[in-house]
Amino acid sequence: MSSNRYTYGIIEQAPLDLDVTGVDGAPIETVDYRSLSAVISEIETIEPERTDENATAHDEVLRAVLQSDGGRTVVPMRFGMVFKTENALKNILRNGRVAFRRSLNDLDGMVELGVKLVTKDEATVDRPAVVEDVATRLREVADTEAGNDLYSDRLVFNRSYLVERDDQTAFDDAVAEIRETYGDDLHVQYNGPWAPYNFVDIEIGAEGR
Amino acid sequence: MFVVDDLLINPFVSILEAVHSMAISELYDTAEIKNEIKENRLLYELGERSEAEYEQRNDELEAQLEIAREAHEQTRGKVEVMR
Repeated sequence: MSSNRYTYGIIEQAPLDLDVTGVDGAPIETVDYRSLSAVISEIETIEPERTDENATAHDEVLRAVLQSDGGRTVVPMRFGMVFKTENALKNILRNGRVAFRRSLNDLDGMVELGVKLVTKDEATVDRPAVVEDVATRLREVADTEAGNDLYSDRLVFNRSYLVERDDQTAFDDAVAEIRETYGDDLHVQYNGPWAPYNFVDIEIGAEGR
Repeated sequence: MFVVDDLLINPFVSILEAVHSMAISELYDTAEIKNEIKENRLLYELGERSEAEYEQRNDELEAQLEIAREAHEQTRGKVEVMR
């Protein structure tokens, strides 16, 4: 029997009742420290394998947290953050409380949305022009943007946006217009809302795990 | 003769080493394989690859990645991989 804690993210302390299970099907629980709670599940290993199934479970827990209780704010952890004991996790919450608190405030009422443009077979486009046009249109309806890696030759555009929940409809519309403009040559992949992975900058070292 | 030997042998050795490390870095380029894994996933999500194609390719790439990691592990400190 193991007491390792797989950690999904940090929220404002409040009761959490989710319909999803976590990595390896484990039930979701919280570990509280003062006004913060870590969203966790128990796990056997301290190095979970990054399979599609596990990565999806991680995302789904965070999305369920985002949607719970009429829209909650969460500071997400990257995949694979495991603490050996509850105390080690509480130490992180204590040592990082200022940073977590600040992130919770910055992210309050925000969601992350992702937009990718991918060339259709054989299609050629004026890449710099497309990128500039699309970036301009999306910036108008977003709070902050973050560029992501163009890991494939067919990827023309890959950015994440931090958007106020209330502005999400405007962002949806902007993406629909982009699809109308470029849909003949480009796939437009629009996804989210995600937990704001790309807009959190908290490093948690191995120390204290 | 001595000079010629030096010139012939020494550069030759270093070229071999260079070729070896280039071969390792290209064959076993973990960053490139990871990119291909992500591209495969993307094309599957966009409906350009079937689930069967996606899974088959993904298994191949994961196996390649495992081999590449082992190759890097084994050559660490012996051959400098320049990238």
